[in-house]
Amino acid sequence: MENKETLFKEIFDTNSKKIFHLCYGYTGDEDSANDLLQETFLKVWQNLDKFRNKSLISTWIYRIAVNTCLTYLRSEKRQAKDELTDNIIENRPEEFSEKNEQVALLYQSIAKLEENDRLIITMVLDELPYHEIAEISGISEGNLRVRIHRIKSKLTELYNQHARI
Amino acid sequence: MQEFDHIQSLWQSHSVEVKISSDEMLAQSKKEVAGIRAKSRLNILGMILSFAALAALLLFAEFESWTTLAGLSIIVILVAVYTFILYKDHKLIAQNDFTEHPNAFLTKLKAYQLNKFTIYNKLYWVYMAALSIGVIFYFYEKLDQLSPFMQGTLILFTVIWMTLCATVFRKSYLKGERERISLLIEKFERISAQFKES
Repeated sequence: MENKETLFKEIFDTNSKKIFHLCYGYTGDEDSANDLLQETFLKVWQNLDKFRNKSLISTWIYRIAVNTCLTYLRSEKRQAKDELTDNIIENRPEEFSEKNEQVALLYQSIAKLEENDRLIITMVLDELPYHEIAEISGISEGNLRVRIHRIKSKLTELYNQHARI
Repeated sequence: MQEFDHIQSLWQSHSVEVKISSDEMLAQSKKEVAGIRAKSRLNILGMILSFAALAALLLFAEFESWTTLAGLSIIVILVAVYTFILYKDHKLIAQNDFTEHPNAFLTKLKAYQLNKFTIYNKLYWVYMAALSIGVIFYFYEKLDQLSPFMQGTLILFTVIWMTLCATVFRKSYLKGERERISLLIEKFERISAQFKES
């Protein structure tokens, strides 16, 4: 039990930041991202003994996080995505700056993507190797490359559109 | 016109901060269940205190009529039985930890919710009927010692109080509990689902 706790702590410390960023990118909202982080790591804690070392533990955790993200918003019937991303600007007037405005625009643009694309691009932005993203999202690497190219173009277009407004 | 590289550098420059540790995260998961447990314990404690007060009255007060004794006895037995029912229900959620045994806990939480629903619906009316009989018996002697005005006031107050408990308070408590437990069940089911499937 103590071993499990030590191992879990190590896993949490190593992976929580990236998973939180993934969740933040998906929801655009800190509170929801925290909920998702908690649910993801609760699953990790409960199923740690099921991890078989066939892949990297980070890949396994990402896979759990992606599944958690995809089921969370639907079942929680959360607010519309646009409202959530607007909160990034509205909730932090004291942090308002050109860079923060750009970051908020980026989250708004990500929010306009489809749910799966949102998660894939978040992993691309975090520079996860393509073979890992393919394993996490269950898509062949060839298909993934094509898809990533399409999402990158779409995201750049959305970002530039938002920036012009 | 920005390129994707700019977007990537923007993303990476936006540092996010995880504000909780692994221990706090697990503790937070247990907190929601702890809230339901605490409420259930308070409920039982309230019943135990009522039982103690009524039993003391039954043991130490002097009554002239058998009806008072019968009325009080009915109420004391009733409170004892319902305290036991509540305790049995509480045991369902008291012994298990969701973070350790998710499926077992989920099954027990569902049983707890179902029991709560029965206690505050079907069993509640049995409780109210028995309580009314007990109160009527108890008042038979006691009201005789009061002025007509006090008699009327006491009867009116009792009727209003029991009606409020059976309608407004019962419904709002049941609604709140149902929503709270349902949300928790939904969340736990969602968490358990991924590994049930695989």
